[in-house]
Amino acid sequence: MSKALMLEKPKGIRLVDTDIHERVQYADLLPYLEDPWRRYILDCEWKQEKHLPYTQPAIAGLDRADARLSDGRPAGSDLDFMKQQLLDSGGHEFGILTGALDPSPSSMNGWYEMGAALASAYNDWQIEHWLERDERLYGSVHIAAKDVQTAVREIHRVGSHPKMVQVLLPLDDTLWGDPYYHPIFEAAVQHRLAVGMHHNEPPVYYGKFPRYFIEWHTMIPTAHMMQVTNLVFNGVFEKFPALKVLMIEGGFTFAPFLMRKMDEQYRHLRHEVPWIKRMPSEIIRNHIRFTTQPMDEMNRKDFMRVIEGLESEDMICFSTDYPHWDYDSPIRALPSLDFPLKEKIYSTNAKAMYEKLPGGGRQ
Amino acid sequence: MRQVVCKTSDVNPGEMQEARFGELPIVLCRTLEGKFYAFSNRCLHQGASLADGMLCGAPVPTDTPGEYRYEREGQILRCPWHGREFDVVNGGQMLADPARCLPRFQIEIEDDRVVVVR
Repeated sequence: MSKALMLEKPKGIRLVDTDIHERVQYADLLPYLEDPWRRYILDCEWKQEKHLPYTQPAIAGLDRADARLSDGRPAGSDLDFMKQQLLDSGGHEFGILTGALDPSPSSMNGWYEMGAALASAYNDWQIEHWLERDERLYGSVHIAAKDVQTAVREIHRVGSHPKMVQVLLPLDDTLWGDPYYHPIFEAAVQHRLAVGMHHNEPPVYYGKFPRYFIEWHTMIPTAHMMQVTNLVFNGVFEKFPALKVLMIEGGFTFAPFLMRKMDEQYRHLRHEVPWIKRMPSEIIRNHIRFTTQPMDEMNRKDFMRVIEGLESEDMICFSTDYPHWDYDSPIRALPSLDFPLKEKIYSTNAKAMYEKLPGGGRQ
Repeated sequence: MRQVVCKTSDVNPGEMQEARFGELPIVLCRTLEGKFYAFSNRCLHQGASLADGMLCGAPVPTDTPGEYRYEREGQILRCPWHGREFDVVNGGQMLADPARCLPRFQIEIEDDRVVVVR
């Protein structure tokens, strides 16, 4: 723990943090797994395949160095420590758990039966050890999304839990707007869940990985742009008008460019996607939200220019990405903003999206 | 203002320690050669406590893509969050953006006491 604990609370606002990574370890999931899945981990030392060819070159790898636990467990694996370092000092009203990269059942490139078992175990572990132990924490339904039938079953199994607020899909090498995956969105809507999309380890260079981590990390927003474009033009939001999607950890500054580009393409090429009946920018404005993190260093003028480009104050939701190395501070990451925009970004935009949060949904 | 913040033996060469200078949080860095430096203990970026980071070396600038030379052990202060690097012995300059420097404090050694002066 930082010896000089800082107050991380934006003045006058109780924030909704839309990206908190609790950390599971394989041993934690064993009590929630049946054989043979449990035995593959115990007997065969199974672990999910790794995608990135590099490490995360920060002091503590993926994590903030000051978020590591003194007993050697990885950052994000202890609720009491998270309360001390984040939830209590940050003035959090609510925090949305988004899981860790490993295991990430949705991004497994095969053996979907194992992925489905892991997803169920993860959800049960998350509910028992996090959601039911702190009233501020809300959760994400993990699924093995490439096996749509089991994924839908899992959404129906845990999606009605009062503290589950979204279904999590990874940004990896699958474009989720394909009609094959639409039952997932349908099930999410049935349970009043948003869909959160968080990159896992997407191959961002023509389906491959660039040579250096700095290239890969710089280009993550391109993976987010691909998904937004894919969801819109595949008609996901026309088919599910109540659906809300949060693009997590790609930032938001690319959105004005993408919206303008998609509108222009639509003017030319509407005849290829006749099921799209609104301008893409309007669809995005109505259905898609973006997290703030990772924030570029921006002054107020730069920030407001992006807001003007979005033509909306309702599309950005604050997130810390705690406990990862590129965490954003609630009081330092954003420039000084006026009410009510500040309140929208830190709180009410997320509440409007997450219907199941207390005070959530369209007011 | 002058303030004794610790004894020289409290910080080993190559290590760092956080302290208070009046109300200000500072970080004391001691290079492998034994010399002390003091800076604000808040990263210029988002205010992380630098004392929770690492006093280390760094790959120094090279002229050839693919060439790495890790040097300057004990002279580079890396932020615990985003990893920004500050040059301890050159005024706390950010390695990637030397126009930006950590606020620094003068150090005087009196017998075995480390005195911060401003």
